[in-house]
Amino acid sequence: MGKLLKKLFVILVISAILILALYGMLSIISEPPIDEMVNAQTDLSLARKNEADIYSAKLYYEAKAYYDSAMVTWQKENKKIIFLRNYDKVTFLAGLSVKKALQASENSKAGTTDLEIILDKKIKNLNDIIEEINKVFTSYPLEPEARNRISRGKFLLKESEIAYNKGLFFQADRKITEAESLLKSSYENAYADLESYFKLYPEWKKWIEKTINESKEKRDYAVIVDKYSRKVLVYLNGMKKYEYSAELGKNWVGFKRVSGDRATPEGMYKIIRKFEKSKTIYYKALLLDYPNNEDSARFNADVASGSLPKDAKIGDMIEIHGTGGRGVDWTEGCIAVTDKEMDILFRITKIGTPVTIVGSVHDLQYILNR
Amino acid sequence: MKNKVLMGLAAIAMVAFLSSCGKYPQTEVDSTNAAIAAAQAAEANVYVPVEFAQLQDSMNVVLANAEAQRSKLIKNFGSVKEELTKTSALANQVTTNAGVKKEEVRKEAETLLNDTKNVIAENGKLIPKLPRGKEGAAVIEQMKADLTTLDASVTDAQGMFEKGAFMDALNKVKAANDKAVSLNKEIKEVLTKARIKF
Repeated sequence: MGKLLKKLFVILVISAILILALYGMLSIISEPPIDEMVNAQTDLSLARKNEADIYSAKLYYEAKAYYDSAMVTWQKENKKIIFLRNYDKVTFLAGLSVKKALQASENSKAGTTDLEIILDKKIKNLNDIIEEINKVFTSYPLEPEARNRISRGKFLLKESEIAYNKGLFFQADRKITEAESLLKSSYENAYADLESYFKLYPEWKKWIEKTINESKEKRDYAVIVDKYSRKVLVYLNGMKKYEYSAELGKNWVGFKRVSGDRATPEGMYKIIRKFEKSKTIYYKALLLDYPNNEDSARFNADVASGSLPKDAKIGDMIEIHGTGGRGVDWTEGCIAVTDKEMDILFRITKIGTPVTIVGSVHDLQYILNR
Repeated sequence: MKNKVLMGLAAIAMVAFLSSCGKYPQTEVDSTNAAIAAAQAAEANVYVPVEFAQLQDSMNVVLANAEAQRSKLIKNFGSVKEELTKTSALANQVTTNAGVKKEEVRKEAETLLNDTKNVIAENGKLIPKLPRGKEGAAVIEQMKADLTTLDASVTDAQGMFEKGAFMDALNKVKAANDKAVSLNKEIKEVLTKARIKF
């Protein structure tokens, strides 16, 4: 009986030791970071749904990298004996992933809203520029390269509008940046050119006033040619009586510098001869006294400075003539009107009638605002 | 004796059961990954991006569940295997859907490319008929420049189409079509106003 009791006691002690040891071992087994990893996965997925991979890419990919590292670390730990596993690093990395993914989500949502607003403004702004280009430069001679840049800009703007309407803001932003560069630079260059041309406006204004006053004082006709608006304005007694459309030389901007430059001169001239029938191939013509003293002085200075070759010729035979009405600048520098209008001009003008040719009768601000 | 034999058999059965449920389903994981790679190769990320993202999310969840089982003392990958089978089936479905969508986009891009080329060709024929009225020349010059840009854009889109980038081609040609059609409308309005037949 004593032996049996002793055996039973030994069994009980061993069992107690085993239970304690098992309890001890179980208590040191690390809890797997399931919830942390599920949270990290959920937040990462949410961030992608919020397009953080596009609009907050740095944070999103940081979050993803932390998640991947957590996963690799988890796998490494799982390869160890169960009692030696430690998931602290996994939990830490999963936490970082959650933090970055939430930031990425928030940034993306805010960024998308901001970008949408910015893009909307930019699209409106660029459409305004296109409207301005159409308004101001329709009849202004732009270089073919400038026209191509405007065209490419308009097309990229269309592409960006399509992307914007689809909610592809990142893509729209890239297109609009290109469009902006093309359109803004084209507009700025063209505007700078036009602005520089209109620096002559105070001079033109003086010529116009003199011409109108002369018409008033002499109670006679005077002609003003507005190159920018392509108009021939006829004054009688200081009052505008007729207004006709005009066609000019292809390179009408600026002064005529040299023979053959297809430019229409600017200055105060007079009619010195009248041609009709077999004397002109342009139905009827009024020959002007181009070059006047200012034209000659400018030409001589250009030759002297070397900006024109020594054998350059100043040119002549600048006329107001018929056979116009083609709607395109086609003359060698003359001013063309229709034959019907030429009949009237031919009848009312005489040798000595003033003809003043200016870039514009209006200032640049008026042209931009009209 | 009989009891000992029964106990032994039960122990063997238990070990066999535990080992069969406790083995990480690497083959299934590999096969599901291969199905996902096939979906990506079918450009599911381009043509059915939402479905593809859902597929990736599903796989990530399954892999996390698998790892969770691996962390346990007594592992059971039974439900993980079921999830892998479902994910694999989803991947196959996404691959099929991507193929269907890609074909739809290809057809749409092809039709729009042809339509746009026709409109551009018509514009090219109509521009010389435009009246060179007041300020006409510069407007015509701008229209010609627009037409050149459109032509270049359609060439770009055609290049993308031939390379199999149908979605990019479609996006490009949509803009070109819009512009070509509005230019066509503009030209026809001017011609109608001027009573010029076209």
